[in-house]
Amino acid sequence: MLQCIFLLSDSGEVMLEKQLTGHRVDRSICAWFWDQTLSQGDSFKSLPVIASPTHYLFQIVREGITFLACSQVEMPPLMAIEFLCRVADVLSDYLGGLNEDLVKDNFVIVYELLDEMIDNGFPLTTEPNILREMIAPPNIVSKMLSVVTGNTSNVNDTLPSGTSSCVPWRPTDPKYSSNEVYVDLVEEMDATVNRDGELVKCEIYGEVQANCQLSGFPDLTLSFANPSIIEDVRFHPCVRFRPWESHQVLSFVPPDGQFKLLSYRVKNLKSTPLYVKPQITSDAGTCRVSILVGIRSDPGKSIESITLSFQLPNCVSSADLSSNHGTITILSNKTCSWTIGRIPKDKTPCLSGTLVLESGLDRLHVFPTTKLGFKIMGIALSGLRIEKLDLKTIPPRLYKGFRAQTRAGEFEVRL
Amino acid sequence: MFNQFGATAETLSKASAVVLRIGTDAHLYDDPEDVSIAPLLDSKFDSEKCEALKRVLALIAQGFDVSNFFPQVVKNVASQSLEVKKLVYLYLLHYAEKRPNEALLSINYFQKDLGDPNPLVRAWALRTMAGIRLHIIAPLVLAAVGKCARDPAVYVRKCAANALPKLHDLQLEEHAPAIEELVGILLNDHSPGVVGAAAAAFSSVCPNNFELIRRNYRKLCEILPDVEEWGQIVLIGILLRYAVARHGLVRESLMLSPHSLGNGFCKKDGLGKELVMDKGDGDMNGSLDSDLVGMVIKCYVEGPDDYLSRSSCHDTVSSAFGRKDSTSIADNDGVKILLQCTSPLLWSNNSAVVLAAAGVHWIMGPKEDVKKIVKPLLFLLRSSSSSKYVVLCNILVFAKAVPSLFAPHFEYFYISSSDAYQVKALKLEILSLVATSSSISSIFREFEDYIGDPDRQFAADTVAAIGVCAKRLPNIPTSSLDGLLALIGQESFAGNIESMDGEAAVLVQAVMSVQTIIEQDPLSHEKVIIQLFRSLDSIKVPAARSTIIWMVGVYSSLGHIIPKMMTTVIKYLAWSFKSEASDTKLQILNTTAKVLTSAKGEDFLTLKRIVSYVLELGECDLNYDVRDRTRFLRKLLSDKLASHERGGDDAEPQENFTAYVAEHVFGRKLGPFSPKPSHHRFYLPGSLSHIVLHAAPGYEPLPKPCSFVFEEHDQLSDLRRQRDVATDSDGSRGSSGTIDDYGSESATDSVPSSDSDESTPSNEARDTPYPLIQISDFTESSTNQGGGSVSNSADLEELRSRKALDMWLNEQPSTSTENSSVSTRNQSSYAKISIGDIGSRVKPKTYTLLDPANGNGLKVDYAFLSEVSTVSMLHVCVEIVFENSSSEPILEVNLEEEETNKASDSVDQALVEKGSISQDNVPTLVPMEEINRLDPGERAKGIIQVRFHHHLLPLKLALRYNGKKVPVKLRPDIGYFVKPFSMSVEAFKDTESRLPGMFEYTRRCTFTGHVGDESTEAKDRFLWICESIGLKMLSNSNLFLVSVEMPVANNLEDATGLCLRFGSKILSSEIPLLISVTVEGRCSEPLNLTIKINCEETVFGLNLLNRVANFLADP
Repeated sequence: MLQCIFLLSDSGEVMLEKQLTGHRVDRSICAWFWDQTLSQGDSFKSLPVIASPTHYLFQIVREGITFLACSQVEMPPLMAIEFLCRVADVLSDYLGGLNEDLVKDNFVIVYELLDEMIDNGFPLTTEPNILREMIAPPNIVSKMLSVVTGNTSNVNDTLPSGTSSCVPWRPTDPKYSSNEVYVDLVEEMDATVNRDGELVKCEIYGEVQANCQLSGFPDLTLSFANPSIIEDVRFHPCVRFRPWESHQVLSFVPPDGQFKLLSYRVKNLKSTPLYVKPQITSDAGTCRVSILVGIRSDPGKSIESITLSFQLPNCVSSADLSSNHGTITILSNKTCSWTIGRIPKDKTPCLSGTLVLESGLDRLHVFPTTKLGFKIMGIALSGLRIEKLDLKTIPPRLYKGFRAQTRAGEFEVRL
Repeated sequence: MFNQFGATAETLSKASAVVLRIGTDAHLYDDPEDVSIAPLLDSKFDSEKCEALKRVLALIAQGFDVSNFFPQVVKNVASQSLEVKKLVYLYLLHYAEKRPNEALLSINYFQKDLGDPNPLVRAWALRTMAGIRLHIIAPLVLAAVGKCARDPAVYVRKCAANALPKLHDLQLEEHAPAIEELVGILLNDHSPGVVGAAAAAFSSVCPNNFELIRRNYRKLCEILPDVEEWGQIVLIGILLRYAVARHGLVRESLMLSPHSLGNGFCKKDGLGKELVMDKGDGDMNGSLDSDLVGMVIKCYVEGPDDYLSRSSCHDTVSSAFGRKDSTSIADNDGVKILLQCTSPLLWSNNSAVVLAAAGVHWIMGPKEDVKKIVKPLLFLLRSSSSSKYVVLCNILVFAKAVPSLFAPHFEYFYISSSDAYQVKALKLEILSLVATSSSISSIFREFEDYIGDPDRQFAADTVAAIGVCAKRLPNIPTSSLDGLLALIGQESFAGNIESMDGEAAVLVQAVMSVQTIIEQDPLSHEKVIIQLFRSLDSIKVPAARSTIIWMVGVYSSLGHIIPKMMTTVIKYLAWSFKSEASDTKLQILNTTAKVLTSAKGEDFLTLKRIVSYVLELGECDLNYDVRDRTRFLRKLLSDKLASHERGGDDAEPQENFTAYVAEHVFGRKLGPFSPKPSHHRFYLPGSLSHIVLHAAPGYEPLPKPCSFVFEEHDQLSDLRRQRDVATDSDGSRGSSGTIDDYGSESATDSVPSSDSDESTPSNEARDTPYPLIQISDFTESSTNQGGGSVSNSADLEELRSRKALDMWLNEQPSTSTENSSVSTRNQSSYAKISIGDIGSRVKPKTYTLLDPANGNGLKVDYAFLSEVSTVSMLHVCVEIVFENSSSEPILEVNLEEEETNKASDSVDQALVEKGSISQDNVPTLVPMEEINRLDPGERAKGIIQVRFHHHLLPLKLALRYNGKKVPVKLRPDIGYFVKPFSMSVEAFKDTESRLPGMFEYTRRCTFTGHVGDESTEAKDRFLWICESIGLKMLSNSNLFLVSVEMPVANNLEDATGLCLRFGSKILSSEIPLLISVTVEGRCSEPLNLTIKINCEETVFGLNLLNRVANFLADP
């Protein structure tokens, strides 16, 4: 089981340590870890399981913060990683983001959370809704109160009622004057276009996010109009397996508040909403680049915040790029990003310019991959449709809301 | 605009950060020590305490050692504020092990909190109490866990389950059965949350106690989907182990099927077909994976180290797992239900659960159903990048064993530019494993893109993967070969640039891959070989050059064209020899030798000249490896080189040994290159060992199939379980029943005891017959006699327990053990005991305060007196003996308080037991009279009264003499922190029964004080034992002997059942403290003593118990 958790800032400083068992782990392990990170670079940083001379280390990196867990004995590595991810999620949810300052400023809450989330190296309470009841997240009101009165406790003095019921994710009897359920389909499109311009892979990774504010003990049933298009699913613990197996219907007693009900994947989509047409010709040490971005198949809603970014190869010594729409920035680490926004009606956005190669190179032999970003509100590109959401007992003043949005996930176009 | 936006965003975030930091704990973290923490900790206000604790926590977070605050922090555990409590707990858990004695102070509060109506408080108390990990309180924790395991709140029960591994960690063997029993109880809990935590406890406490699982197997399987995710991970592993141990492997599973598949049946199912199809594609794959699967399962069961050490890697696996070790799903409900209950978990939101469930199906599932783990596993790839790596590592093994499982899903392994390098490498390996002849073309098109990737190491790996694919699927499109050759051409050009070290790797891999492809069928690739030879001039990378040069040697006589160009090539090599890297030089030497051996006719003479030239060059090389190789070759080839006289006739060389060797070394044709198994260390899917590729500590392979034998049928097991439950509850009822019975017994017994004061059954000697002799104490007798008159009470105070002992010890010889009636009369004879007698018998132990060596000849000893202090109840009387062993007189000797103490002692004062009133007004030391002059050899005594701040911490005093000041340390003896408490046996028992459970602690020790003394022969042995134990007790602590009981049915040798009871009160708080010493064993041998202390003040009691056990065990 896990013995210790360290939180490291992006400069390698140990911000927090939480010893979990009697077998204490010395901080020097962090020094070792950081030395290795510096000497071996990115490939080490992306290695989630490391066998150090004394401990097995599990690491995840979120927003520059490294979560490092140590163990000396056999344990499922995914359990450690998944747990660290959960910690990172909960922390960023509590602190409204994740960075060095936020963690330091709220270290007491971080400690209290960690103490509640893991006991003796084994996860204890990880359900965010229950944690919220045990340890109040910092908010403006409590901050102001603490300024005015000097102190407020963020530790709740009663046990969340959910822990004792058979549905541990839900408090026993929440009361709302108006009962509301919102269901969002949030989809991400993963696509790969190869150098020949072919769509190699195009699929949707989607989540059904729900926000339930319902009194009592509601029993919900959510059904899709076309569940057959769903390839894989993963459920929140509240979803009952049987109804899904038999009629592909989601039946569940929801947690209170925001939660992720389901994640799914829809494969083999035939087209993407946007196209990217790159063209690279290189000759005698310079390279002409032009990239066109346009709408391939209109989804019916406007495509927003379109961005395109790519990493210039190391052999490029200078770049002169311009566009007829949007802005281009090139950072010192040779990351080039083009912010397009919306596609204008009258023209097709086009990036063009020249790259100067390092001396001695005649033409470009390595090619960058561009990442496309976009967002479409109001539509689920997978075509998945929610048919209906039923409640077994309908509470008074019930409001149900549905929304959908799609954004680009790993949308890659190889130049 | 982007820049600007970034800038504004930055200032915005800075501005908002300032705003956001208001009201957070930022200032505490940034500068935790800007105010003095200690006074805040002592504050009356929770808010100030809280702030102080936060500062302390900030220091912990930053890695400072703040254990010096321990005493102040610990006392805040009593706070009512939950936030303060929580912060104290956080601190305690961090430092308890460093400061065990102080940590003990908190135990009483935990005990109190354990009875709190708020389940959260109970749970926290239990978690922290178990978390501080002190051996001494383990029995308390165990009792607390036992209580909490039956708590009505689920959360508390869950914490109880979590506390078990903590207890187990302390490695207390005597508690192991109790811990396992608790695991069993919690596994049987009806709440899924508790079961999950209990499963975790099971796997760390007693992972092989399958009996516990057997009782609940079916229930555990059914509850599995409802258990919370973390528990599921562990529980799945436990159930899998149990199923293997109980039922064995499954005959229909993948693990055992390949062998039957090889035998040609079992082809009708889908997977079988795929496997067969695959065999058609890649000729050796089919057989390879069946061997591999066999190896995998062997590794799973035996552990790769054991298995591989047996070295017979390819022995018949099926023979190892015969029919008797395997089972069939069709007729085994146990396996069926496991598979049923784990399959929905493949949809879990938690990757670790999915992987664990997939592992069960991989090992136990029927092979036609193994397919269903594929999609969930692939879906895991969409979760975080860290878990992606782990999942891919696992998929890699699955794909290695059964490539057809993942073959249809090859697109999932296409590489995205955001993947980490390790992930890319794994994906490439999997891609090259699962490629089939139908998918290879799209995979190659994908590979082409990867070769242009800016990450050159990855590009090189891709090129290598092409080679691997080519080897697996020999009929791959020739386009890949053309592509590779183009790449070589391009790379050799790009390789000119020094700065790009990555390119070299790509080029080397490209040449190697081409070589791999050629190797499959050299003859048809003659043109390619020639093209490679031609490119030698442009390729500059040494490793790539040597590979091509090696090919020159190997294919020198291939086809028609190559032999003709051989002389030119060799000439070129000889020409370039000087400028090569040493590796390439070695390769050139080898190649020229090879070519020479196979050369014939005219070429031979030319070649010979060239070779001699090369050899000469080599002999003068700077690198000694090259020189050595040259000499070796010259020797080997001496025959060939010298053969110009003989004209190369072929009859002779056979006789010439060196020529023969040379022929064999160089002339050998390349044999078919068999793919030898690379790494074959397989660990269970989802395990850490699998990722790090060595057995991590604590890794255990699956249990031996069918190693857990349980006689009864499954149908009966349910009945049996019910019966177990029934007997369990019977047991608990029974035990409570006995207590009741016992109560009634004592009630009935109390009737005779009220008039004759005889035979009250002892608690410990329940099984043994009632004691016949009842030695009653003088108090009782005096009240019996004189009716407790007021005049007596003054006496009573002086009458010490030791008097009672002596009274009894002196008197006893006159009473015979057999005669019970006499013993009742002994009470009247107490008055005979003389005080002087005690003095000679009970000698308080003396300790050295000052050594004559350190004190210029002044020797100071001290001993604790049994008198109760007159100053306050916190003081202890200490007798100090001064002795002048020097030749000079010593003047003005005195002991006094160390002044510097006073300020800093406020810390320690906090430690003084509660219940002390107005402690600040009481001086620490009531000094003795000053000794003006101590002549040589003279001894002087003085009595001081001391208030120790804590019963374990020494008190610093200053010894003044001759105008000097020497700091000394007065060490407390916990035995004198109690005072005798005279009570009757009834009162003793009554008090004892009111202090059960957590207030009762026992320890065992061996007592040897009674053996080895000749004078014992004369006396009654029992008496001697009583006397020696009693003396030992009384001379080491200030107690009152309440009673001595002896069982009657004993023979004279057996002292078992002898029981001495002592009564006392804690000095400072007047809390009664009872000690019972029970004897076990034979009179003439060392005895086993069980010491039991009942006291409300847990910590004090435990410390005293330790002390008692120590001095009793001390010979």
